[in-house]
Amino acid sequence: MERHVHMARFATALPILLLLTQRASGHEAWLLTPTEIEDLSSAAIPSLFRSQIWLGLAAAIAFAVTLVALRLEPFIAIAEKRFIAPFWKKYGDIGPLVLRLGLATMLLLGASGGLPRHGTSAWSVSTFLVPDMQLVNVTGADTLIVVQFALGVLLVAGLFTRACGIALVALSLVGPVIFGPVFWSYSPHFAAPGLILIALGAGRFSCDAVFNLDSADRLVAPYRQILWRMSHILIGAGLIYLGLAFKLMQPTLLIAILEHGDMPTFGVPMPIIALVMTGVEILCGALLIAGRLVRPVALAILGAITFLAIVLGETPLFHANLYGALFCIVLAGRCIPIAHGVTRFQSVRAV
Amino acid sequence: MLRNLLSRTSIVPCFIALLLGTLVVAAPIVNAKGRPPRTVFLILPDAVTPPTVNVQAEAIGGGHYHLYLETEAFMFTEVCVAEAEAVPIGHAHIHVNGKKVASAFFPVINIGPLDAGTHVIDVVLRGQDHRPIVGRDGLAQGLVHITVPVGPA
Repeated sequence: MERHVHMARFATALPILLLLTQRASGHEAWLLTPTEIEDLSSAAIPSLFRSQIWLGLAAAIAFAVTLVALRLEPFIAIAEKRFIAPFWKKYGDIGPLVLRLGLATMLLLGASGGLPRHGTSAWSVSTFLVPDMQLVNVTGADTLIVVQFALGVLLVAGLFTRACGIALVALSLVGPVIFGPVFWSYSPHFAAPGLILIALGAGRFSCDAVFNLDSADRLVAPYRQILWRMSHILIGAGLIYLGLAFKLMQPTLLIAILEHGDMPTFGVPMPIIALVMTGVEILCGALLIAGRLVRPVALAILGAITFLAIVLGETPLFHANLYGALFCIVLAGRCIPIAHGVTRFQSVRAV
Repeated sequence: MLRNLLSRTSIVPCFIALLLGTLVVAAPIVNAKGRPPRTVFLILPDAVTPPTVNVQAEAIGGGHYHLYLETEAFMFTEVCVAEAEAVPIGHAHIHVNGKKVASAFFPVINIGPLDAGTHVIDVVLRGQDHRPIVGRDGLAQGLVHITVPVGPA
């Protein structure tokens, strides 16, 4: 039976991966100066990324590390149970709060042009969910600005939060319709937080809880674990796609961005660093899809995006959606409680 | 054997091995072309004549200059799109000393006022989605040096 569940899980993930194998762009490219762009146009792809022997060796090492990590999973689970699970019991409501506030900040700043693309003046151009997607010459831009603003306000207040989650999933699907396939690289990382909001609700620190407005709770309850796992699969699929399309297949871009940020290399050649980053991203995505080592993987991704934000001098708000979603995953782990409350904490098996 | 392969403990390693194996085979094939990153550059097919741009500057007083962008195999347009076709149609980005100062949607543009001294004007042809155009000869780029005299020009 379990085997069928695993196969169904992978079968669910595969169409998402196929759907995501479209062309896309990343906001990091906008960081590069004209001189760096000129150099990048003639930069040679490192032999490490062109050799099946070297890549095969790297893949073998990555696979061995993954096997070791999987063998250690039961021991890690014991540590999680001892240290993180009690924290989730007491302070689990912080997760949805962080996610709501992170998303709300992105939405409100995006709607008002306060989170502009690199090189664009602040407050001059409204954007859609991410800084790259400027609402210029876009049909229905005014409506999208109003929707983003309203969603941001509701998320700050924690009002109708599960409905906001549905709206966020809808917006992540509207993006590719408006901006084309380029948006598919962002969609999973906004749909996943939307699903998490639907699954978890707003938590204690919200108007929903204070005024007892969460009537959708009973409707969603039977599907919480499914929504929770789907969010992991979406984040994992997004990571695999980004690692594949932006790093493995365009290593010179990654290297140019790292060199732009003067990242300390400690004598390690830049192509090796780029390959390690690529491998970590792809493996983390695969493990999230598989539902294994979920908390360590979420912690690793949190660390990686924080490190990159510091190196590149980017505001963490560019990834506030991921920070919030991953924070929730670190707190809750692979499964979420049936009843999201302090006194009625019960753990259930994932579907 | 298939039952063992698909058991709960081995299916995840199998999935990861399959994923890594696929990437090890596919990545070198894609990277062997050695093309610049497609998400940054609008790469024209080899069959398309690569566009060129030659930049001429004409002082019009007060540190202002007319830039004449003489292009070949390129068409200017004011229309921008989210994702452009790989065709030599678009606009130009003007950089002065490495800093973007303007977008040119026509072959003549006024820039300035520039401070006294020597400036490097760098013009890069861009597609309708703002990506720099790269043909088989490389980046479609033109350069001109301008020396602005001290005092009224």
